[in-house]
Amino acid sequence: MNLTSSPSKAGAASRYVFEATGLIKDFDDGQVHALRGVDLQIEDGEFVAIVGPSGSGKTTLLQMLGALDRPSEGTLKYRGESLLDLPDPAAYRAHEIGFVFQAFHLLPTFTASENVQIPMFEDHKSRAERQERALELLKAVGLEERVNHYPAKLSGGERQRVAIARSLANSPSVLLADEPTGNLDSESANHVLDLLRSLHADRRMTLILVTHDMSIAACAQRAIQMKDGCAVFDGDPAKLSIHRIA
Amino acid sequence: MTFLDVIIRGLKRRPLRTGLTLLGISVGIAAVVALIGLSRGLVTSWTAGMRQRGTEIVVSNFRGSLTPKPFPAFTRDRIANLPGVAATCTILVDLMGIENAELMIVSGREWGCFAWENLKLVSGRMPNDQNEHAVVLGTNAADILKKKIGDTVQIETEELTVVGIANGGAFVENGSVILPLPLLQQITGNHDQISAIDVRVTPGMNDAGIRHLCDEMNKLIPEGHAEPAGEHIASSEGYRVINAMSWGTSLLAILVGVLGVTNTMLMSVFERKQEIAVLLALGWRPSRIVRMILWESALLGFLGGIIGVLLGIIGVQLLKMAPALRGMLEPDLRTNLMLEAIAIAVFVGVLSGLYPAWRSSRVAPSLALHG
Repeated sequence: MNLTSSPSKAGAASRYVFEATGLIKDFDDGQVHALRGVDLQIEDGEFVAIVGPSGSGKTTLLQMLGALDRPSEGTLKYRGESLLDLPDPAAYRAHEIGFVFQAFHLLPTFTASENVQIPMFEDHKSRAERQERALELLKAVGLEERVNHYPAKLSGGERQRVAIARSLANSPSVLLADEPTGNLDSESANHVLDLLRSLHADRRMTLILVTHDMSIAACAQRAIQMKDGCAVFDGDPAKLSIHRIA
Repeated sequence: MTFLDVIIRGLKRRPLRTGLTLLGISVGIAAVVALIGLSRGLVTSWTAGMRQRGTEIVVSNFRGSLTPKPFPAFTRDRIANLPGVAATCTILVDLMGIENAELMIVSGREWGCFAWENLKLVSGRMPNDQNEHAVVLGTNAADILKKKIGDTVQIETEELTVVGIANGGAFVENGSVILPLPLLQQITGNHDQISAIDVRVTPGMNDAGIRHLCDEMNKLIPEGHAEPAGEHIASSEGYRVINAMSWGTSLLAILVGVLGVTNTMLMSVFERKQEIAVLLALGWRPSRIVRMILWESALLGFLGGIIGVLLGIIGVQLLKMAPALRGMLEPDLRTNLMLEAIAIAVFVGVLSGLYPAWRSSRVAPSLALHG
C-alpha cells in the first residue's frame, strides 16, 4: 500500500487495519493525559464501538486513527504502515477514511448534492463525475428527493444521512463515526444506525463508531471501553454491561 | 459545482460584510481611476491641443517650478534657423481667474503664426490685428464664461471684447481664452517675455530626428528646454508633483482597502475555523484551503476593482465639473488605466489574503471533532 500517491484499498500488508501500541496523547504540555498507553488491533471489516464517558479519550483515539492529530508517544499503523510518518495525511484522509460527525458539519450554503461532492475535489473527478457520484450516494442513503435541498431544509436525520453519503464520496475502506446519533431523536437515530450497519455489511467497510450509548454499542461486533485514557475493556459488546457492573 | 462555486459561496455567506468590503476596495480604486485619470489627462489634453496646433517640439522652462517660467522672446531667434525647423510660434500661457471662472487658460499667441490656424470660427471673427483689444474664446471657455460675440471679458484690469468663438479641435484649445501675444504681455506685465516656443519641424521628420533637433536646440538655449510636444508636460515639475500627489492619495486609499480586505478575510477564517477543520478532515489539503482563501480575497479585489472603476468614472465626471478644472483638461480614462486599476485591485486582494490564508493553513484538523 502506498498512502502517498495512490492509496490502495485492496492492499493488505497486515491483517489489521489499525494497530496501536502504547498510544499516549498529552495536551497542555503534559498537564492533560488524554490517552495513557492504548494498545489495540482492529481487523479489516470489523464493526467496533468505542464507548466511554466524556473525557475518557474515545474522541482523541478517533482523531489518531483519522490522522487528525498525532500521538505524543507510541506507534500507530494503518494496514502495516506507520500513520505517524505519513508524508501526506490529507491523501490518507481523502482516500482511506470517511468521517461522520455528531454535529453533521454540512456546509450551510451548499445543497445536499454539493456537500457530498466536497471531498471529491481531492479525487480529481470531473464535474459531471462528481455530480453523478453524489446522486448515486444520496440515492444509496435514501435522499434522492433531497438532492438540491440546503441543510437548513433537511431534518436532523436527513442531514446525518447526507453526511454519511459525503463520508463515502471517495469510497473509503474505513468509516470513523463520532457519536453519529448524538444529535438525533430516537427514530432518526435508529435509521442512521441501520444505514451504518447496512453500509458495513454491504460494502465490507471497517466501521469504528464512538458512542456513549450502550444500546448502540450493542449493535457492534466488538466494543472497546475507554476510561481515563485507557482501554479498560475490549471484547463482546454483550459483555460490556456486565463488565461495567463489575 | 466547481471550485469557483465554493469560493463564491464563501463570499456570499456574509453578504453585508462582503458588500462593505467591496465598497472599501472600490473607493480606493475609484480614487486611483479619478486622480490618475485626471493627472494623465493633463498630459493628453495638452498634447492633443499641441497636435491640433501642429506643434512637434515645445521649448519651455519648467525647471524647478510648478508652472512654466517666462523667458525672453528673443530666445526664438537662436533656434528658428536651425536645419529641420519649419516654423516657430512664441506663446505666453497663464492660468488666471477670469470673472466667475476660478481658473482659465489664457493663451497669448504671436500674431499670424501657425498656432492661430487650427482655430475654426464657430461665430464672429478673428482679431483684426495684434493691437486690437479683443479675444477669441474656445467653445468651452465661452460656455464657462457665458459669453457671446460682442460681450467683454475682464482679464486683470483690461476689458477685452469677445470677437470670435472658435473650435480648436482639442479640449485644452476649446477651454482657452486666446489673444494676441503683445496684448497678454502688456496685461501681465511680461514685456518681451514668453513661456513657450511652439516649433513645427520639416515634413517627414521621424521621432529620432525630432529628438536630435531637441538636443541641438538645448545646446543653444540654456534658459529654456526643448522637448517633443507633450513630453514637456510629463517631465515638468508641476506634473510630477500632481502625479505624485495622485498616487500618494490613491495609495492611501488602497492601503485602507488592504486593511479592510485583510480584516474581512481574517474574520472569515476565524469564523470558519471549524468548517476549515472539517474540510481538512474530509481530505482537503491545506494548500487547497490556502488557495480557497486567496481566491476569495482575489475575487473580492476583482469585483471591488470593477465597481471602483465605475465609481471612478462617475467621480471623474463630477470632478470635471469642479470650477477649478472646468474646461482645463479632459480626464484620460483609456482602457489601460481601467485594466491597471483592476490589476491593482486583484493584487490588493491577493496581498490582503496572504495572512488570513496562512492562518487558515494553521487550523488543526482535529477541531473537526470538537462541538
